[in-house]
Amino acid sequence: LRRPFRAPHHSITTAGLIGGARRGCIGEVVLAHNGVLFLDELSEFARPTLEALRQPLEDGRVAISRARHSAVYPSRFMLVAATNPCPCGYSGEGELCRCGEADMARHRRRLSGPLLDRIDLVVNLHRSDAGELSTPAISSAQAREQVSAARERQAERLRGERISVNAQMDVRLLGEHARLGEKGKEMLLSARESGLLSARGEHRVLRVARTIADLNGSERIRVRDLGGAIALRPEPGLAASRAA
Amino acid sequence: MSPLERHPPSSAKACASCVRRSWLLAELSGPLEFLARDRARLHELLALEDDELLDAVAGRRRVELKSRHERFDAGELRLQAGVEALCRHDPAYPQALRDAGGPRMLYVLGGARRLAKLAAAPVVLIAGSRRASDYGIEMSRSLARGLAAAGITVLSAMSDGIALAAQLAALEAGGRTHAVIGAGLGVPPPARRRGVYERVARRGCALSELPCGRPGRTWGAAAGERILARLSGSTVIVEADEGRDLSTGRLAQELGRTLAAVPGRVTSPLSAGTNALLMEGALMVRGPRDVLELLYPLSTPSATAPEDASPGRSLSPRLRATLERVGMGCDTPEKLTAVGVGLDDALLALSELELMGLLGRGDGGRYVPRGAFPPS
Repeated sequence: LRRPFRAPHHSITTAGLIGGARRGCIGEVVLAHNGVLFLDELSEFARPTLEALRQPLEDGRVAISRARHSAVYPSRFMLVAATNPCPCGYSGEGELCRCGEADMARHRRRLSGPLLDRIDLVVNLHRSDAGELSTPAISSAQAREQVSAARERQAERLRGERISVNAQMDVRLLGEHARLGEKGKEMLLSARESGLLSARGEHRVLRVARTIADLNGSERIRVRDLGGAIALRPEPGLAASRAA
Repeated sequence: MSPLERHPPSSAKACASCVRRSWLLAELSGPLEFLARDRARLHELLALEDDELLDAVAGRRRVELKSRHERFDAGELRLQAGVEALCRHDPAYPQALRDAGGPRMLYVLGGARRLAKLAAAPVVLIAGSRRASDYGIEMSRSLARGLAAAGITVLSAMSDGIALAAQLAALEAGGRTHAVIGAGLGVPPPARRRGVYERVARRGCALSELPCGRPGRTWGAAAGERILARLSGSTVIVEADEGRDLSTGRLAQELGRTLAAVPGRVTSPLSAGTNALLMEGALMVRGPRDVLELLYPLSTPSATAPEDASPGRSLSPRLRATLERVGMGCDTPEKLTAVGVGLDDALLALSELELMGLLGRGDGGRYVPRGAFPPS
């Protein structure tokens, strides 16, 4: 069985992404069910189209209602997206970036808000680090092994709950399976107090920390797992204004 | 109801001829904009009397403007709520602005009394590039935060980059700020500056020499430099290229104000201007403490800013080493791993430092040290 991988072009319409153009016509999010939906050039998608992703991301299904028919389809997918850090693409590369503060503000606005709030991991890629692409730390085969092992761990732990991966854990399960040590609790508290994390962000960080611990083969969430999760959280750099 | 109120001439503090001057400047906005590129010439023109100014720049509109100028009624101009008009004949008008090159009129959002109170403390101008690097932004923030916490009034333009970062940080530290605005007060600022504008209006003063609601364009900002350079006792240029970014500093220098600059990388064009100033003998500033020592030469009790206590002192060697590495340019997790730190350790240390407020995130998610690293 191959999981689906869907990568629609950024000019896609809302009906194309969600479905409902004609009766029985399903969208990319449904086609990506149980697979990966890859949105390249995220900031180039139409704003309403991106907003329409909220329901499937939140509930794992889409409800399409038209005058003559309505239907609910499953759409539980992993969203992977890529975007330039600024309109010219050179932000963070020193003087190469030609974008003014107004351009940056416009760019950030497109990516801010509820959609970004539902993204778990952000990895910043830098031109100067590109040299390391040629020598990956681990091979794809090794990564695959690690991921499968982590997924097995998760499935084992969550067997009684009728879900199989950490991403599906709700707040109650997080409290049960993603416990932190004293030092970790302290870190999370200071993150809340300094305003780096919202309540929703805290749950997200916990979920990611649980997964990092699984990847490292640890039943306990160690401080370094939590540190990694905090470093990968999406808020800074993208949504926040630079001066603020 | 519109927020603009009828400006009753009787209760106005400003005299009619000075109000007329500000009206004239707004009317001449077009030709002045054309001249804005040459700052020295613009400042010369702005020092002229009304008649001479009209002759010099009004062009085809000279006759029309002259007759309107003669018939001008100060009641025509409306003041926005909360704005007080001050002219140089008013005893409350800041002494520093009274010389020949200073403006004739000042519209003050926040009121003359607050302005006097702000000017009673030492005033430090923080200026620099509109398109600053992360380093410039963080330096500007740390300076403004430290100075505001020490009770110094922070003055800056209301422009992007260095100036905006300084305003925000000073307000966050609970300080009071002046902002000089190139346009008339009440012209809605762009969305990214609106919040700062409102907070400055609540806690500090916003100043403009144009009548309320009149756009200032580029020349307005250039003209605002006259006010900025005059109102401050000391000027700190945080990051500036060799072009226009330096004009405020040059003006402060001409006026005999203390000029200081933050050093930057020699290879960065964004620091070329500040490095040139240092070469010429401007004072070097590495953090708020240096500015305070400049203001209070013998370290009096007030010369120690709480914010300036060296942030690295109480850190564990592991975190301290990471902070140092980031300060030296290893500002991404990838670069830290390239110098031999494990990825897990790098991410953990970066997160811990970020939680402590010692690191922030800049463009492209790069880590930036907050505040000057202590010279240990």
